[in-house]
Amino acid sequence: MCRLLLCAFFALCLAGRAHAQDGGPPEQDADVGESQALGVTTDAGLLDGSAREPPAEAAAATPAEVPATQPAEAAAAEPADIASPASDVVVTASRPSSKDRTQDRTLIDGERVRTSARSTVFEVLSQEAADVYVPGRGVGLHGVASGATGGIRIRGLGGSPNTQILVVEDDVPDYQGIFGHPIPDAYVPHLIDEVLVVKGGDSTLYGTNAMGGVVVIRSRWLESEEDGYAVAGDLAAGSYATLRESVSLLGRTGAWDVAAAFTGMKTDGHRQGAGGGDMVGTAALRYRWTPNLRLTLRNKVVHVQGGDPGPVQSPTTDHGFDVWRNTTSMQVAYTRGKARLSLVPYLNLGIHRLYDGFYSRDYVGGATGELKLPLDRAANLLLGVAGEGVGGSVANRITGERPSVRSLGDASVYGQMTLQPFASLGIVLGARGLASSRYGFVPLYKAGARWDLGRGFFFHGRISRNFRRPTMRELYLPYPTANPDLKPEYAQNANAGLGYSSGRVEITCTGYRTEARDLIKYFGVWPAAEVVNIDHIVVHGVEGRVAVRNVGPLSASLSAARQGVGRYTRQNPDAKINFSIDFAQAFAAGFLGANLTGEWVHGLFMADYGRQPIPDVFVMDLAVRYRHTSRQRGMTLEPYLLLRNFLDRSYAYVAGYTMPGFNILLGLKLEI
Amino acid sequence: MSCLHRLAALALAAVMTALAGCDLDYPEIAIVNRTEDSALLKNASFNGCVWNVVLANGVATSPGRCLPGTDRVHFQMLDARAYCQEQAADGTLAGVCSCDGGAAGSRDGGVSEDLTNVVPTWFNYQTVSVKHVSYGRFYLFEITSDDMEPDFSVPGPYGH
Repeated sequence: MCRLLLCAFFALCLAGRAHAQDGGPPEQDADVGESQALGVTTDAGLLDGSAREPPAEAAAATPAEVPATQPAEAAAAEPADIASPASDVVVTASRPSSKDRTQDRTLIDGERVRTSARSTVFEVLSQEAADVYVPGRGVGLHGVASGATGGIRIRGLGGSPNTQILVVEDDVPDYQGIFGHPIPDAYVPHLIDEVLVVKGGDSTLYGTNAMGGVVVIRSRWLESEEDGYAVAGDLAAGSYATLRESVSLLGRTGAWDVAAAFTGMKTDGHRQGAGGGDMVGTAALRYRWTPNLRLTLRNKVVHVQGGDPGPVQSPTTDHGFDVWRNTTSMQVAYTRGKARLSLVPYLNLGIHRLYDGFYSRDYVGGATGELKLPLDRAANLLLGVAGEGVGGSVANRITGERPSVRSLGDASVYGQMTLQPFASLGIVLGARGLASSRYGFVPLYKAGARWDLGRGFFFHGRISRNFRRPTMRELYLPYPTANPDLKPEYAQNANAGLGYSSGRVEITCTGYRTEARDLIKYFGVWPAAEVVNIDHIVVHGVEGRVAVRNVGPLSASLSAARQGVGRYTRQNPDAKINFSIDFAQAFAAGFLGANLTGEWVHGLFMADYGRQPIPDVFVMDLAVRYRHTSRQRGMTLEPYLLLRNFLDRSYAYVAGYTMPGFNILLGLKLEI
Repeated sequence: MSCLHRLAALALAAVMTALAGCDLDYPEIAIVNRTEDSALLKNASFNGCVWNVVLANGVATSPGRCLPGTDRVHFQMLDARAYCQEQAADGTLAGVCSCDGGAAGSRDGGVSEDLTNVVPTWFNYQTVSVKHVSYGRFYLFEITSDDMEPDFSVPGPYGH
């Protein structure tokens, strides 16, 4: 099987080489790799944006004239559309992932995700922002159900179950109908253009589940406005019989764009029962009727298979799971000037099988319509309507048990006004009225401001009211218990921060406070377990980041967060530090890069009220890669080596789920 | 290919060769039952390894590769002698009765069948001593009667 795929991959690459056209992707110059040394930004803007060629979507969408030295994100954001400074250099920028510049956020470039030594996309997010915490349990597989990890916790909310953080992939909210959270193994980096982590939630724009934060993933298209295509393959093997392979295709011909990728990973795991694999296939097709009218179709299929190895004190070898999911979406987008109208219907289907006989089918279906209107030079209006329904069926095929579940749905209208009374001041006001089939009318709102103080200094602040409806599991499934009388959760998030950004230095510091009401918590263990709403909690903390880039061949960043989470300490760390040192050196036809990363997590507990403490986590990874570009042959070869936990430290994010010791992955990437 | 490139490729290959087998160097561990003749052990586990076999006295598991680190040996134990005595007293084993007559001889007036439990109960135990294992070595852990205690540490599942 592996040999067959390998042969198919190289055959595809050779075929691609034979048909490579002049209009294909631009050859990778060494300095491009150098600019990608630190593809992460917070509020300060896109660090490497000025050197990155934008996707083709940009030209047809919202072109913006900006100075080449400005961060691309800042340039592409709405206020910049209003007052575009004159410049001789025109850089077209893609439609920004962020619709609200006052959001406190971290933006991670897709190339940064692809070259990270961390095993999964969510773990990369955790590495890049100290106020984002993602536990792991092994090599590249988080799993589902008991023993699963990969829940994202942002500034104290989220985690397990991971329902308070919403993942939005290509404008489609991605979560399971029954369980209400995304599958952490369903995201692969090969088609990711960028990942935006919105901290503090934004239910005004995204609706339910966007309580603690939003992870916005945007996929890429061919980075060329000429016809052509680019094929990339990546094959890696390493410790624990881990094999990872992927093939991606980006193409453009006439009015058609195509983006497709297949990724498979298989591992024996670092201990008994920890093995498994996943397979993700995704395809997108875009047709441009006119430069202003586009239709995009996407489909993504995910298969995850593995097991819960259990705590090391009581391992299990037969607690397997098998999950299939398929997401289909369509997007119709029409632009006229700076106005934009889009409609996105979607359907997410899944089948879950667990070792104990659990079997579920679920769906999430809905549609979103958005209209962006520039009112004048100082105001933009965003109006939207959204509707969504979730449902499914559950059975235990061994016991014959069939819990009764009822579908849930909501419809909402929302709006956001972006004002720029002065060139340096941006204000965002928004509101959403959500009508839930079960909980009636839910008002949500937000207000934020960003003030550029000059000389690279800026201030931002934001307050928002966010919401999550209970999941069908919490309401109906007795695994371990359910409560049909649960009320929805609400959170009021506030943050304010200062920052400084210059060509080489970025410093940000943000304080935040989250007051959540009616949070849904599980207490006890079966058969005495209960799931109830708790009164309210307050989480407050501070997060800061310092980054220095392109000092000779080196770039470095340090991110730290400290928070007080109160009584509910389960998997909610007190402090976290992440650091990264990047080395990038260009040669005549090559590029040598190294990325040293580290993570320290302090104040981890396995239970609330500060019980069952876990020793501090400290782990360091190293990625080394060499990129050789042959201009004559039009191809790039990139061998790489990932040294994970190279200090061979014994650590665990979850008690009993010891993480792997020193392990490696050696791979070869080929681009044509 | 320049000399520099060749050297880089060679260095990479050397690193790969040196490191590829790290996880193959996990410590090898075997567990042997040295308790008493009538004691059966099953599902012995150590630091992520589990042996789903039943061990009579003097019998050992096959060597298994486990995570390096520190743990106690966890296992389940059944005292076959005590079990047999209980069943004989309850008269659940045809043709076997306890020495004092027990319930087998007076079935009608003896222990109610509803109150008897014919399913053997395996209790969780762990070694009192803590074992440490490291890369590249073989360990034979003997479970003895004076190095075991009830194991109440088995945690509930984590996850969502």
